[in-house]
Amino acid sequence: MLQYILKRLWHTVYVVIGISMISFFFIHLSGDPVLLMLPGDASDQEIEELREQLGFNDPLYVQYVRFASKAIRGDFGESLYYHVPVMELVIERLPASLELAVAAMVFALVLAVPIGIISAVRRGSMLDMGSMLGALLGLSMPHFWLGIMLMLLFSVHLGWLPTSGRGTMAHLIMPAVSLGLSLMAMFARLTRSVMLEVLSLDYIRTARAKGLREEIVISKHALKNALIPLVTVAGMQFGFLIGGTVIIETVFAWPGLGRLVIQAIFSRDYPLVQAIVFVLSLLFVGMNLLVDILYVYLDPQISYSEEK
Amino acid sequence: MKKTYLLILTALMLICLFASPGVARDADTLIVVQESEPVGLDLMRSSLQNTMSVCYNIHDTLFFPQEDASIKPALAEKWEKLDDMTWKITLRKGVTFHNGEPLNAKAVKFSLDRVFDPEIKCPHKGKLSAFKEIKVLDELSFEIKTEKPFAPGLYMLGIYLPIVPPDYIKKVGNTKYNTNPVGCGPYKLAKWVRGESVILERYENYYGPKPYYGKVVFKTVPEATSRVAALVTGEVDVISGIAVHQRKNILESGKAYLTSQMGVMPYLGINTYEPPFDDVRVRQAVNYAINRELINKALFNGKAILCNGPISPRTFGHAPDLKPYPFDPAKAKALLKEAGYPNGIEVRLAYPTYMSQIQEQVEAIAANLTESGIKAKLEPFERAVMWQRYKGKKHQLYVYWWDDAPEPDRYMYSLFNSKSRDYYYKNETIDVLLDLGRTIIDRTERAKVYNEIDRILYKDCPWAYLYVIPEVFGVSNKVFYKGDRDGFMNMRWAKPKN
Amino acid sequence: MNTRATESLGFRQALESLAPRIRLTLETAREVVKRPSALAGGILLLVILMASVSFPVLYHTDPLAQDLLARFTPPVWQSGGVWSHPLGTDNLGRDVLSRLLYGSRVSLLVGFTAVFVAELVGIVLGLISGYYGGKTDSFIMRIADIFMAYPFMLLTISVIAVLGPSILNLILVLGISDWVTYARTIRGSVLSLKRKEFIEASRAIGTHNIIIIIRHILPNVISPLLVLGTLRVANIIIWESGLSYLGMGAPPPMPTWGRMLAEGRVYIGDAWWLVTLPGLAIMFTILSINLLGDGLRDALDPRLINL
Repeated sequence: MLQYILKRLWHTVYVVIGISMISFFFIHLSGDPVLLMLPGDASDQEIEELREQLGFNDPLYVQYVRFASKAIRGDFGESLYYHVPVMELVIERLPASLELAVAAMVFALVLAVPIGIISAVRRGSMLDMGSMLGALLGLSMPHFWLGIMLMLLFSVHLGWLPTSGRGTMAHLIMPAVSLGLSLMAMFARLTRSVMLEVLSLDYIRTARAKGLREEIVISKHALKNALIPLVTVAGMQFGFLIGGTVIIETVFAWPGLGRLVIQAIFSRDYPLVQAIVFVLSLLFVGMNLLVDILYVYLDPQISYSEEK
Repeated sequence: MKKTYLLILTALMLICLFASPGVARDADTLIVVQESEPVGLDLMRSSLQNTMSVCYNIHDTLFFPQEDASIKPALAEKWEKLDDMTWKITLRKGVTFHNGEPLNAKAVKFSLDRVFDPEIKCPHKGKLSAFKEIKVLDELSFEIKTEKPFAPGLYMLGIYLPIVPPDYIKKVGNTKYNTNPVGCGPYKLAKWVRGESVILERYENYYGPKPYYGKVVFKTVPEATSRVAALVTGEVDVISGIAVHQRKNILESGKAYLTSQMGVMPYLGINTYEPPFDDVRVRQAVNYAINRELINKALFNGKAILCNGPISPRTFGHAPDLKPYPFDPAKAKALLKEAGYPNGIEVRLAYPTYMSQIQEQVEAIAANLTESGIKAKLEPFERAVMWQRYKGKKHQLYVYWWDDAPEPDRYMYSLFNSKSRDYYYKNETIDVLLDLGRTIIDRTERAKVYNEIDRILYKDCPWAYLYVIPEVFGVSNKVFYKGDRDGFMNMRWAKPKN
Repeated sequence: MNTRATESLGFRQALESLAPRIRLTLETAREVVKRPSALAGGILLLVILMASVSFPVLYHTDPLAQDLLARFTPPVWQSGGVWSHPLGTDNLGRDVLSRLLYGSRVSLLVGFTAVFVAELVGIVLGLISGYYGGKTDSFIMRIADIFMAYPFMLLTISVIAVLGPSILNLILVLGISDWVTYARTIRGSVLSLKRKEFIEASRAIGTHNIIIIIRHILPNVISPLLVLGTLRVANIIIWESGLSYLGMGAPPPMPTWGRMLAEGRVYIGDAWWLVTLPGLAIMFTILSINLLGDGLRDALDPRLINL
């Protein structure tokens, strides 16, 4: 087990290094940002001086080594746009993004699991068909469009919810729902199919035959087994949530990393983009690691010596 | 199990129902919403409108610039002209910065020197480059010298030279100053929650009239619709960035009104260094090809002011006898033919994506151009790339904008003097005239120079001239606030209605 | 003599393995058609495809023609609507219906070709990885891990920001960032197939690796990819619209659903149809693909988990 975790940790390290390389080289493909750092009437000489001073004339790999050796110490440089250390910006925005991602996940799970269970138990009923059709619709909606529609209804027409920004619970509702709906649809479908499979297994039949109440059978026996795939998928979908926040945060002016990174990419704020990509992928990889470990813990039958 | 879920669901629904849309707030707080967040709070380090707007509440300058490009006293109490190149300025007595540091002539000298400090990379450097030095006379008075007579000098100082505290900056450094500024303006920074809001508090020792609101909160909402909705629902008090079509909604809501501010003057820049636009006839053809009247009527409800030359009709010095280029596709085609392009031309048209409504204007203009045989391929660029390519002389046709400031030198010098930018147009006569325009102190004589510039550029067409779109702020009916021509949201003037 | 024997053996084997495959395909089609939801999805998709291909013939309005004075004409059923613009006009007076139809071309083109590119890359790398194993395998899988952890949206956005927005770039970027799932699926199947007797046999008689891969392995792993691919088309179309929404899709004036949404977004309070209709178009397209994909999966491999 320990060996497995160590191996996964090593995996995390090289993935993060790989990502830092990719983002570094990609960003530098589009030229250096010197022109952006100087006022409009700067002379060519001033431009060249700054370029030399910041080391943009060095070969790319030299620049990468310089970047990496600083990055290891957590120093990603200063934002070209905000003129403050980028890590400061990232750390300021991170909680907002996590809050949104977690809210979306909670919203999705809280509704999806009971819908999935009921659909499985009442397989073929109107309820089942209706909720599965609903789930399919939910899967088919682009989440940013859903966000716009919610805003049209609840903010523009009804005036119930604030249009954008962060602060109260009311601010969180629309972004979390738009981000979480397709997840909810996915989880509901998953829960349903896993439950169907579990309910047909022998031990459930035995439990029923023993005369246990249906609710107990479902909640105590069936659900527990259905949980494993749900946890895995939920963990894997965390990456989707992080990607999804990019647009949803733009739509709802949510002050998180997603909106920050879009602005950073648009304004070619190189150090900031690098830092955000780094932190987001670290989160993602960390989450996967957690899921893997949890998976092993939940289902001891899985061997962890074999290749994944 | 079921019960738990039922409980959670009910709780969620209750939150939905009872969550009040507005944050509870008292009558002493004013909430202002802009399109984008300030990038920093050091006025010397940014030329972005939204950033500068917040900064002007914290920083004061020597003078208040007026709508007719004249000035009124602010930190400077009185001033006199010693000769065409020297002013003697006396500061108000007893003014302090928010940290208690006294305002004196040394602080002014420090501030001007700081503008030219390479580490600051001050974007306003060019506007103040005429100033050579400050000689401190005593605690409160000093002489400021220019190399040549500089007519708009004091007005420029009033906009671009915030006075900053030397001791504080020396202590905390430039980076920290950008996030924790100390000025001598009416409001001091209480808290900046980046991504959410900048909270300002009234500075009780302010030398001028006491601002009414004890607290001003600047928030950021990038979506125009959301800003308008927030204003109409009473969530916020003042908003900027209102598209023309949304003004009606605000007025009809009965909850808010509009106040005019600066004008946005978009223009279609032309790279005159490369064919086909090195030929003035082709550039004129572009001007004849654009249906300004129709665009104005359709996109701006006829509220825009058509430009007849590079100087806005609302700016001092514009030549009133010029008529906007008429929409005349036949003439445009004839000019193209004359220039040797009987089958028309294919061009690239770049525009920035961050300005709302630029896209639709560009698409309308491109359709006009096509009609006259100028086939334009659209090139949308994000802010930074647009700027990079602009400076790299990579655009062929490009749409950018400037505000139509009352003082012509403020934009004409930057844009048309080849010593300043020299990206796409060079005309020695214009260079000479622009330099001359700066030096003439007499306003009537000065106007003649700018009239001349306007007329030459009208014919030479380094741009296709478009229009000025008067911008507005939306203000809640509870608040009295009048916008300024410079477009900055100076909240010291805001007060409750009745 | 030896080579000929090998080849004819391979050929016969290929034929033998092909015959049940054709039967299987027909069976699959029958299975899909038997499910009403899958059938509905198929028909809907077909209608959308037909409409997007045939619209210039059936509906003559130019999606780019502006009529500035007729901007914001509402759909025909609302007061002020006109029959010449059944779904109204946008902020420049362009016909919404013809823009929607044109937009469907972009979405479908990008969706299907990007998945094709992704499958191609994924299949090649997955086959190599699984078949050769060893260092090649671990190298490819390490790269796959990195791609998996790189936030997909950020990767595509930053690449587009560097390369500039165009349809081709969009297809390549979406395709190349999405290869990992296919590669992993293929690799898994190849690993289990590799030990099968008929593969070992052909290897023993010296058949070239490439031939083994193409003749014996590829046909056996393709069907899960078909299911996966269909469902991924839906995702790609959503991403494409998201990128267009952010201004990183196909360049203007070409109408795309995502950009129509972004442009209509500005007028959300004034012209509801500009934000609602493109979204509905996306939703129905995705719905049809999902329905079809579900049906395909049930028919081909009922054991695949229902996601």
